[in-house]
Amino acid sequence: MTRLEENLITFPYRRSLGPVTGAFMTALTEKRILGIRNGDGVLVPPMEWDPATGAELPHDLVEVGPAGTVESWTWVPEPTEQHPLGRPFAFAFVRLDGASTPLLAPVDAGSPDAMADGLRVAPRWRGERVGRITDIACFVPGEEPEVEGDDLGPAAEPVAIMDYVASITYRNPVPPVFDLVIEASRQRRLLGFRCPVCARVYVGGRAVCPIDAYEFTAAEGVDLPHTGTITNFVVVTPVQYPGQTETEPFARVFVLLDGTDVVLSYQPVIELPVEDVAVGVRVSAVWASPAEASGSAGGMGGTWGSLIGWMPSGEPAVDDPDLVNRIF
Amino acid sequence: MGTSTDIAVVGWAQTEMVRHTELSETQLLVRAITAALEPLGLTRADVDFTCLGSCDYITGQAFSFVGNLDAIGAWPPKRDSHVEMDGAWALYEAWLRLQEGDIEIAVVTGSGRSSTGDPALIYPMEMDPFFLAPIGADPLTFAALQARAVIAAGIADERSMAEVAVRSRGKGSVDELLADSYVRQPLRRHDVPPITDGAAAMVLATGERARRLVERPAYITGFDHRTECHNPSFRPLDDSPSTRIAAEAAGLGDGPVEVAELQAAFTHEELLLRSVLGLGDDVVVNASGGALRANPIMATGLCRIGHAADHIFGGGTRALAHSTSGPCLQQNLICILEGRS
Repeated sequence: MTRLEENLITFPYRRSLGPVTGAFMTALTEKRILGIRNGDGVLVPPMEWDPATGAELPHDLVEVGPAGTVESWTWVPEPTEQHPLGRPFAFAFVRLDGASTPLLAPVDAGSPDAMADGLRVAPRWRGERVGRITDIACFVPGEEPEVEGDDLGPAAEPVAIMDYVASITYRNPVPPVFDLVIEASRQRRLLGFRCPVCARVYVGGRAVCPIDAYEFTAAEGVDLPHTGTITNFVVVTPVQYPGQTETEPFARVFVLLDGTDVVLSYQPVIELPVEDVAVGVRVSAVWASPAEASGSAGGMGGTWGSLIGWMPSGEPAVDDPDLVNRIF
Repeated sequence: MGTSTDIAVVGWAQTEMVRHTELSETQLLVRAITAALEPLGLTRADVDFTCLGSCDYITGQAFSFVGNLDAIGAWPPKRDSHVEMDGAWALYEAWLRLQEGDIEIAVVTGSGRSSTGDPALIYPMEMDPFFLAPIGADPLTFAALQARAVIAAGIADERSMAEVAVRSRGKGSVDELLADSYVRQPLRRHDVPPITDGAAAMVLATGERARRLVERPAYITGFDHRTECHNPSFRPLDDSPSTRIAAEAAGLGDGPVEVAELQAAFTHEELLLRSVLGLGDDVVVNASGGALRANPIMATGLCRIGHAADHIFGGGTRALAHSTSGPCLQQNLICILEGRS
């Protein structure tokens, strides 16, 4: 049974809203819904361009609703974590009074039996409004808008930016050869795989020879030396993006293993200050104690399992001008 | 538009289509490409151009197509491209590239491992980020709203939709299916595609090379794709104008087709597309079972073209293949394949 590795990936996006969407979002904080004139019609949500022709529209925004009429709907019997309501609800095309296009919106109707085309609905506003479409918590049957809890009033400033966080959990199969590499590292072995077609050797548990598209098995495993030479490096000054744990400049080096054609990419260094990192420095592998060992890959190459990095071996540096070209 | 250079599909292969595979996307591609090339007596070294179709959001990895290059044998360095689209659009790019006339063989792929994530949570994040993604607007909801429009227009009803499901999957009875409850009114479970892991690879060749490789190449005689605006609020959901325009531009009206492979993931989409394309009862639609039987996102459309090519390989004269992308058939691609005596 192949092992699955679960990762939560979060993409934090900050979006500029522009003159039309920004005005729409700002108005939401004032419990007003805006459309934009497009010829004889009024588009809701407002667009900067005519959806049919792409022509830029004058910023002629008009207030619509707040009540409207259900034009079509479907019932969501089992809401997901992304849905705006935690109980069954309807997604409906709501044609707001004065609009010529329908807005997709949740309707909190309690039961599909309460839904019908032609149903009149009005917004239920959030008490705290920040200039997002979800400032409309949902629509409810009737003509009168509602507010959830205390009304904290409109935004102090025009809303120009919207943060949106996309978070997804993924389960990726771990190629069996990768687990062999992790297991070997527990025994302080550096395991590679030799392609039987081209004889090139790959490290880090790569499942396939990228030249011959050969899928590796345990049979192609080869033990590799634990010493090598830095061929190239980069010093990273960390930018404090979400998830960055480094605070000080750090090096990532490329290591050509002795007596082989194998280069390990993006390796951390240990007991080697950033200012001493150089092409030609001789290094040897550093292995974790069992308590420190990780089961995962280091990302972008990096280390794996009980291999945690490389430290100076103390031997004299190699002086070879071609070394710097060896990054793979 | 037509083409002055003969460009033909000469072979294709797909992996096993399953709910969950233990293979990585790269491994799926390794196998699909090998299976497409080997029967033609070709190796990766013979391929002049590759174009891969896949989606980082589904794979859960930025630049995942870089890892997928392990499957194409990119050494010595090769001409390669990628589309964040179904493999059918990768085929379109390869078809354009081959028209330059300096190369003869291209491989295109579509690959998706939908079980890596939860499609119900991923697709809403691909929607418009201002008005749709924040409310979790999901594919089932959009499909249900389009189904209602198609039913209201008299193009489908719940029974004809169930008939599509029974024919596509080759099991169940219409009455049994109609007794089921709704997952999104008016859609029931049988109206909805399965979640499928899989990949497909297709080999294209030009002119004489195609004729040397196979007895009966499937010539691409028309190919076009068109898009509509993103937000379904602004579109007529009981119609598919982009499909109609693409079909006209691809020359569908120049002659009859015997078969049509439509990327209709939902039952009502097949009925709408048949109507828009003007396909009569004499046209065999989705004999493969279509996307309702196997729906490997990012490969589903390429598989449609593959099945249409199989019809030509088997002696057929003219076939239509369709692919789509985006909510409520936002973007549509039409490919016409022909055989010659």
